[in-house]
Amino acid sequence: MSIPKYKLSSIQVLYGDILGLAVDELTIAAGGLHVLVGSNGSGKSTLLGILAFLNKPEHGEISFDGVPVDWESGECSLLRKRVTLLHQNPYMFSGTVAANVAFGLVARGIGKEHTRSVVRESLERVGLPGFEQRNAKRLSGGETRRVALARALACNSEVLLLDEPLTHVDRASAALLEDLVATLASGGITVVMSSHDERLGSRLGGKVVRLEDGRLDPIAGQSPFNEFSRCTRRDNANS
Amino acid sequence: MSLVESLHMALVLIFAGDRDVVSAIATSLEVAIWSIVFASLVGVPVGIAVALGNFPLKRVIRVMLNSLMAMPTVVVGLLVYGFLSRQGPLGSLGLLFTPKAIIIGQAILATPIIANYSLGAIQVADERILPTARTLGASNLQCFFQLVCEVRFGIVAAIIAGFGRVISEVGVAMMLGGNIHLYTRTMTTAIALETSKGDFAFGLALGVILMMISLAVNVFLTLVQEGRHA
Repeated sequence: MSIPKYKLSSIQVLYGDILGLAVDELTIAAGGLHVLVGSNGSGKSTLLGILAFLNKPEHGEISFDGVPVDWESGECSLLRKRVTLLHQNPYMFSGTVAANVAFGLVARGIGKEHTRSVVRESLERVGLPGFEQRNAKRLSGGETRRVALARALACNSEVLLLDEPLTHVDRASAALLEDLVATLASGGITVVMSSHDERLGSRLGGKVVRLEDGRLDPIAGQSPFNEFSRCTRRDNANS
Repeated sequence: MSLVESLHMALVLIFAGDRDVVSAIATSLEVAIWSIVFASLVGVPVGIAVALGNFPLKRVIRVMLNSLMAMPTVVVGLLVYGFLSRQGPLGSLGLLFTPKAIIIGQAILATPIIANYSLGAIQVADERILPTARTLGASNLQCFFQLVCEVRFGIVAAIIAGFGRVISEVGVAMMLGGNIHLYTRTMTTAIALETSKGDFAFGLALGVILMMISLAVNVFLTLVQEGRHA
């Protein structure tokens, strides 16, 4: 059996007294598309923040490629170079679109020539060729999301986490993004994407994880997480 | 003498290259610029550290910074005087009544102002900046520089506010500089001296020049603020 990309155990996140997320056990396989579905406040963004190594959970453990994550050391900084999160409401740094898309490459110390070609290719992939010199602060909402996706793609990470990337985008952009996500997932990248659309997983051929009130709610036959979680929850329900 | 006549006299004194006026302007600008350089080197990182840090004494430090902003200039002058006077712990350096002493005092005066304004700039910064930089693989140092870059207009405003404070103060310059002719005499100490001697016109002329410098600084600040929203 291959080593999963992520393995989460007994994860708990609290916002004061309110439960943000409670995951007994969750395994995400390497490669392919995984879709987190759930209503607002169900814990999708919280889970993505943990998978991106941005937010440390109050309790629990997480393994990445079979190695337990040490949140206290500088290890997370290195792991973040392998995982990129596209936020639900992405922020554009001041400056040009090219500078924004190049940000992750500059952070990785990539040379200027290669950076320039990657920036051009990334913008072409999201359907925004020739946008390099535009002011990143003056883009429309849809353009901002696509530039942010190009910025994430340019990092060429092993894992791409997308927080509701299809919200507030027009139909043509949504179709383009769906094709792009499907291509990335079939190309070996682990894509974890959150959405309100429950049919998205089957439409793109991804595995679906349902979240409700911060807890996992497996969908039979489609869930990527293991039997342990379901047994534990069933036992708890029966007790 | 009317304001127009004072302005006319000020311009005459400047363009005539009056030695006393030029010396006072040069000394004022020299000590103010150097003190702001040192205050910025300390104040900006302190402000950012307090804004981003999560430590037990954070609230106490914030209250202290707020209190220090309103510290009277003569009190700063008095404290530094105690250190630099012959009997003081730094008396052997012979800095008292030199431009360096004024720079030290003014830097102490400006540091809490710059720190506080920098802190405010960070606090109102978009909370998505750091997570975005982090998830794109930036190191802690790269995140820090990106954050400073994003709030640079606020930082510049903090530095200019500090400059406005020191260029117009008189207590530190008088107590630590000694108002020595053509050496430590600044515009503000010259105004105080000349007015007390009855040369109201000369004092008023220097006052007009000081106002013009303050106006120029504020115009620059406005342009910076407008650039932020452009």
